[in-house]
Amino acid sequence: MAASPGTPADAIDGLLERYLGLVDEYARLRSTLSALQAHVYQAIARANFSAERGIRYGQELYDERMQASRSLAITPGEHDTPKFGVVYHGDKLHGSQGDEKHEAASEAEKEDENQADDEKAKVEKPSDPLKWFGILTPMTLRLAQGKAIEAVEQVIPRLVTLDAEMADVEIRVRRARKKRSKAEAAALKQQQALDSEKAAVEDEAAVDSDKDPETADEKQLASDIEREARTEDEALASKLESTSIS
Amino acid sequence: MSTTTADYKDRQFLAVIGDEDSVTGLLLAGIGHVTAPPDSQKNFLVVDNKTDNATIEATFERFTTERKDIGIVLINQHVADRIRHRMDTYTAAFPTILEIPSKDHPYDPEKDSVLRRVRRLFGE
Repeated sequence: MAASPGTPADAIDGLLERYLGLVDEYARLRSTLSALQAHVYQAIARANFSAERGIRYGQELYDERMQASRSLAITPGEHDTPKFGVVYHGDKLHGSQGDEKHEAASEAEKEDENQADDEKAKVEKPSDPLKWFGILTPMTLRLAQGKAIEAVEQVIPRLVTLDAEMADVEIRVRRARKKRSKAEAAALKQQQALDSEKAAVEDEAAVDSDKDPETADEKQLASDIEREARTEDEALASKLESTSIS
Repeated sequence: MSTTTADYKDRQFLAVIGDEDSVTGLLLAGIGHVTAPPDSQKNFLVVDNKTDNATIEATFERFTTERKDIGIVLINQHVADRIRHRMDTYTAAFPTILEIPSKDHPYDPEKDSVLRRVRRLFGE
């Protein structure tokens, strides 16, 4: 059935078209993520293979006080679905917040607080995770880091945004389908009502037409009887007349 | 799926549950975070053969239910399989769960919850 513009079927087609576009992008990003992660694993394996004195670049060397240098930035996107992004703030986190807070304080207090803030910033400032593994980290580990950053900054946020968008379209499609089935059910009910009404009118008409021939017959019979009576009367009258003349 | 800003205002971290290389790779990208003491809560869990399912499930619960500062939970697909019953019943919008491949277990589209939703929508 061809959908005319503006019908529920047309709306569903439009939504499904958009959905398929999202699925396509999702599949492409999935393969990109797989490829990037394969590079990361390969690079880490190479780094471990070439490491000295049996060092393994793993959880034993993680910094126990690590601070995130890449964090999420979630903003409202299309159709109120969340849009995910990842921002890098490795060099400026916790930096200038302290100065703004204490403008009214005296000079001495200010200096003290600034010093305290500096110390705090020094402690909390996120460091490059490569430094956990020593000063002279192998090139392969840097390569792993580069690929991991690409995955975290470009692929993962877009994948989860797509997930949210797809979930939104799924809800819209289900609503549109429900609306369409309701409209179809209503149309069917209306059609049935019309059909039954039509059938009733036809039945009535049939009953009327059945009645008419009966009355016609009766009328015919009455007129026949009348005609016969009239003929008989005329014959009798002419007979009487002829007898009186003779 | 309509969401409000309040739902994700404070969600600034990505969390990860996976094998050592997956976690190392993602921490190299700078997503690792340990909260201030005395809590010192990590936003990652390294899963190996010795890690039991209860630990994985408890960490998943902590990241998804208790902590309000996590926006995305990345989990290796083979680890997600170990708590699949919990994964399948998770329906909250935040944090979002993303299953990722690992070194020994490549990405399997058959297990991908998003693609399973796609099949459901098209009536398969």
